[in-house]
Amino acid sequence: MSESGSDQPDAPTLGPPMNRMAIAVLALAGFFVALYLFAHNIGLTGPIVCGVGDCGTVQASPYAKIGPIPVSLVGVLGYVALFSASFLGIQPGRRASAPIGAFLFLSSLGGVSYSGYLTFLEAYVINAWCQYCVISAIIMVLIFSASLPELRHMGRRAS
Amino acid sequence: MSNRQERRKAREEGASDTNRFNQILILVAVLGIGAVGWSVSSSMLGTAVAEPIEVEGLDDMATLAEVAQGTTRGDPDAPFTIIEFGDYQCPGCGGFALTVKPGVDQAFIDTGIAKFVFYDFPLPMHPHAFLAARAARCAGDQDKYWEYHDQLFRNQVNWSGRVDPVSAFLGYGEAISLEQDTFERCLKSEQHAEVVSANIVLGQALGVTGTPTILVEKDGDLRPLMTNSLAAIEEAIQLMTPASEPTGN
Repeated sequence: MSESGSDQPDAPTLGPPMNRMAIAVLALAGFFVALYLFAHNIGLTGPIVCGVGDCGTVQASPYAKIGPIPVSLVGVLGYVALFSASFLGIQPGRRASAPIGAFLFLSSLGGVSYSGYLTFLEAYVINAWCQYCVISAIIMVLIFSASLPELRHMGRRAS
Repeated sequence: MSNRQERRKAREEGASDTNRFNQILILVAVLGIGAVGWSVSSSMLGTAVAEPIEVEGLDDMATLAEVAQGTTRGDPDAPFTIIEFGDYQCPGCGGFALTVKPGVDQAFIDTGIAKFVFYDFPLPMHPHAFLAARAARCAGDQDKYWEYHDQLFRNQVNWSGRVDPVSAFLGYGEAISLEQDTFERCLKSEQHAEVVSANIVLGQALGVTGTPTILVEKDGDLRPLMTNSLAAIEEAIQLMTPASEPTGN
């Protein structure tokens, strides 16, 4: 396994950074979860398929939108950005890119914070759970965890 | 192991990681596209009839009277009939349902003075009104017409601006505990399209041009109201009541 541990151009033998590959896979999965919720928000699907929880209540609550924009759309765009950056970050020549690393860490920090806020709302304000929102929050925690090695590299660069 | 061999081995491991990554990525993409695509298509591919259909023979008044059917609330034998030609997507009808109708129910329907009959009159300018009328009748099949009628008007602003209101309509059914599969099958079919289409023709035959149009009927005497207020209904009932009969107010 190899990581983006250098600010130098890729060494010829440097493989794709495993943490960025993990972020790309997770972001793609998160994208489809958010896309499903967004499709529901704009009326393209039937009722949300819920085995447990109460997605209908969560999606009908005022917290499911930021002004006129559905939170699910924010999720779709966020996951697209994370996927694009991580996919770019595993291409030869960019595997040690510090700006991509910084973007991955900071955007996943923003994502995990917002997911935490939404989970708090579900637990204590809306009093209902949507399993797709919970799945998305778990994906964001995993993405954030996978982005932590980027922080180490950023620290090395700063020192 | 020589330096060259180590580099070669690392390169091979990197290529193997990339291959595995690509395979996982493709798998996630295929699963995601499949799941979301199935969800959307299963909703969109329903053959829900959302526009009036051609019904033969409605130019004959006897046939029209047979096919067109309002939905009645209250005592069927009540002496007066308050008739509404309404459109679920019409804001005026929403206002009538939420602000005037409760007073009408209290003063005339619950007291047995009148029965209330709602005829669908979805206007062409409202793209979801016909489907909404059918949805209410699908709920009526499960004896929950009026609960659904109220849901549609209460939530009018939430569904009327949607590209496809089907998911909202199914959600309102869920909210009043309709048997979902039966309701969904009805909604995504052409059930009740004939009666709703006939109600439009009946309204046109009676001179209805807009919604809500309220009429009061007693013994064949049919009077359209100039304003859709409780006071106007009360006045019409008083005017149509012989001096010796009390109106209950």
